[in-house]
Amino acid sequence: MQNLKPTILINRSLRSGQNINYDGNVVILGDVNAGAEVVASGNIIVVGALRGLVHAGATGAEDVSIIALSLTPVQICIAAHITRPPDGGHHLADSGAEMAFIRDGKVVIEKYQTPK
Amino acid sequence: MGKVIVITSGKGGVGKTTTTANLGAGLALMQKKVVMVDTDIGLRNLDVVLGLENRIVYDIVDVVNENCRLKQALIKDKRLQDLYLLPAAQTRDKTAINAEQMKKLCADLKEEFDYVIIDCPAGIETGFRNAIVGADEAIVIATPEVSSVRDADRIIGLLEAAELRQPKLIINRIRTKMVQSGDMMGVTDMLDILAIDLVGIVPDDDAIVISTNRGEPTVFDENSRPGQAYRNIAKRIVGETVELMDLEETVGFWGKFKSLFSRE
Repeated sequence: MQNLKPTILINRSLRSGQNINYDGNVVILGDVNAGAEVVASGNIIVVGALRGLVHAGATGAEDVSIIALSLTPVQICIAAHITRPPDGGHHLADSGAEMAFIRDGKVVIEKYQTPK
Repeated sequence: MGKVIVITSGKGGVGKTTTTANLGAGLALMQKKVVMVDTDIGLRNLDVVLGLENRIVYDIVDVVNENCRLKQALIKDKRLQDLYLLPAAQTRDKTAINAEQMKKLCADLKEEFDYVIIDCPAGIETGFRNAIVGADEAIVIATPEVSSVRDADRIIGLLEAAELRQPKLIINRIRTKMVQSGDMMGVTDMLDILAIDLVGIVPDDDAIVISTNRGEPTVFDENSRPGQAYRNIAKRIVGETVELMDLEETVGFWGKFKSLFSRE
């Protein structure tokens, strides 16, 4: 199934206080620092460390995902589902690329695997 | 033609004023002609930290409003050859000067001095915007704490947006023991997030408290470790390559004695 939304490519890291709002998919070649925000109607892909706030499927789409090389966000939203990292635990920094998506009405995070 | 360097941080209390004073004095010790400008109008501290508060007659607001000539407001530090202070006003606030006036002031000062060091106030509003408007380069001060790094990241974003590209970082008040025990962020952690060039690391030390209260910049003290760090930073600013100090905290006689027994 093809995703026909427009896609924007951001060629740098986002610093605290910077934000991206886009009707489509967002690909960031860099980090998203804590205090930065990415809001997209489509998917969000961070080729770097995701430490900030992301909202994918902001206009309601639930079949979107958030992928990052290092997924340690402040908060994750997909469509109307919001979640945050587990309290107290230090997320293992070298868990590798991970993907957040909706399964059974909840946001789940799993190791990223290329679709077969 | 000199260089205007703004010392900023976002977060308050991380060492902008202390750095301005010590970097200014450090450069003057290398025979450079330096003026330090306090732009924290209403909350001036640079004069106190330098021990020059009793000699203030005119301030930066008098200069931009043309109540006096620039030369009349500059206070010469008697301890050094060519170190001057342009103090802030205390009975006004940051709306007392505007960006155009600051730009002109920086341009005038550049003609007379090798280095113009601007002490920027905390925050991201008018005070900050005025302080950076005439600057050629920026140095960001951050302590190894999450809140300081978060604010420094914000400031770097704002500096880059204002075309002050490639600001440099000074990590202040680092405590090596706490970094080793994992209780404090280390240099690599901070550089991972801030991603700018490091120009120096200053250790946390009682010497700073003593020096700021006495009005004697710690660079004058041969035995002070932060003093050594600031002298090294001054050297790097003028283009010399200086190795980073070994920040292992000195153990002292009894420490060595105890560690001798604990090995048995």
